[in-house]
Amino acid sequence: MADQPYWNPRHETMPREELAGLQLRKLRRLVEWADASVPWHSKRLRDAGVTADQLESLDDLRRIPFLSRDEWMRAQQDNPPFGSILAAPQERAIRYHMTSGTTGSTPLRVLDSMKDWEWIAEMWCYGLWGFGVRPADTLFVAFGYATFIGFWGLHYAGEKLGCLVLPGGAMTTEQRVKQIVEMGATVVASTPTYALRMAQEARELGLDLSGSSVRLLILSGEPAGSIPATKRLIEEQWGAKAGDTAGMTELGTIMIFECSEQPGGTHLIEDHYIEEVVDPITDEPVGYGELGERVVTSFGRGFIPVLRYRTRDLVVRQPASTCTCGRTFDLYEGGIRGRVDDMKLIRGTNVYPRAVEAIVREYAEIDEFQIHLYTEDGIRDEIEVLVEIPHGDANAILARLTKSLADAHEGLRFGVRQAENGSLPRFELKAKRVVDERVVIGGEGERRT
Amino acid sequence: MNEGEQAVADAYGSLQRALAEHRDDLAPFAERGATKALAVLWQVMNGLDLDPGQLYELGV
Repeated sequence: MADQPYWNPRHETMPREELAGLQLRKLRRLVEWADASVPWHSKRLRDAGVTADQLESLDDLRRIPFLSRDEWMRAQQDNPPFGSILAAPQERAIRYHMTSGTTGSTPLRVLDSMKDWEWIAEMWCYGLWGFGVRPADTLFVAFGYATFIGFWGLHYAGEKLGCLVLPGGAMTTEQRVKQIVEMGATVVASTPTYALRMAQEARELGLDLSGSSVRLLILSGEPAGSIPATKRLIEEQWGAKAGDTAGMTELGTIMIFECSEQPGGTHLIEDHYIEEVVDPITDEPVGYGELGERVVTSFGRGFIPVLRYRTRDLVVRQPASTCTCGRTFDLYEGGIRGRVDDMKLIRGTNVYPRAVEAIVREYAEIDEFQIHLYTEDGIRDEIEVLVEIPHGDANAILARLTKSLADAHEGLRFGVRQAENGSLPRFELKAKRVVDERVVIGGEGERRT
Repeated sequence: MNEGEQAVADAYGSLQRALAEHRDDLAPFAERGATKALAVLWQVMNGLDLDPGQLYELGV
């Protein structure tokens, strides 16, 4: 069994035509279930004139209206605490979680039944197994185990695989690093940012992570897991292979994972989801190789059916054949590229935090950084990048980084300043490295451009 | 399906029937254990594309 490269070989290597047939069958069941069990969905489907038996091909999916986070939030506000989106009575649930608040200040709340919770772990099994985690592994989970769903599913997937799972909640970074080394962990799960933070802590403690037992890192929670420079830095500092995954609380688990071939992208779990990529402005589908917004339909979580959810994640889809692993599941090249609302407009130039990170991480001497936006003289947007450089020739690095950032952004002038070592915030979960202090005019959220 | 998969599918069917028809006959340890097992086996049925449906009426 351990030699088997796929978690579900039948589905992961299924010819694309058969896979489409499988998705269509599951889509019909999902629409039928949502229509019969959730009046809120039933009305939306009825308003769109859609019934399950009318779905004759996957193209018919487009007849179903998009579901936005705002609509979901309104449903929750109208009928708190969960909204009129539950397909089964609340007392059947065994789990409560909520979003981390990446977008918007009010979290979405979700419930899972026993079956759905098992499914959440099942999705993580695709990712863990596909990246090479096996029953003999010892898996350390560097995660706070609270109501944010984070690595909860990974924890249970590790148990399901038969790994020895070390829950790393309620620990300092020093305690975590020591336990990873002392317990001989072979796999570590964390955000990319926190993987770097633990490596930094290990250096300060005089521990050699690259000489430890760790052979695999499972990354999630931030786009950085697929930024080549960040991933390279993590792999160098840990002496281990790093694999990217991405999930969201709205679906309860991961939808995409990087396989052990490390093709520079993440496979879509297409037997459990339909992933569409659309232009975020026109809503029209975009083709392979084009940047667009992920829209996801999930077959797994029956308690809260999800049809055509606008994720706001930016991705570039590529055919399965671009990877040599043998899976027929398509990929997102470069994983999640960022979010639709991530982009900052600075004096007419588009700046994506991910692009800035990709450049900053080319400099291994930089421990931590922050992007600071502010208004100069009350009228002019400015952008500066603060960096901690504990070792190396700081002045030379600052000069090179300034030029690299400008070259990558149509000559836009970046201020690059050295920050005192240890002064910038560290993050255990999703990093928040953009501080936007530009002048706000008019109503809330209205910014001078 | 191969023989092993068929055996698992049969076990799923037996568990589902046990909970649907004999739930009240089971002590808490047996009833809860069977419920949990059904949730786990549902994943196998789903992975084999055997349309296991939803199980919320059984508390799963």
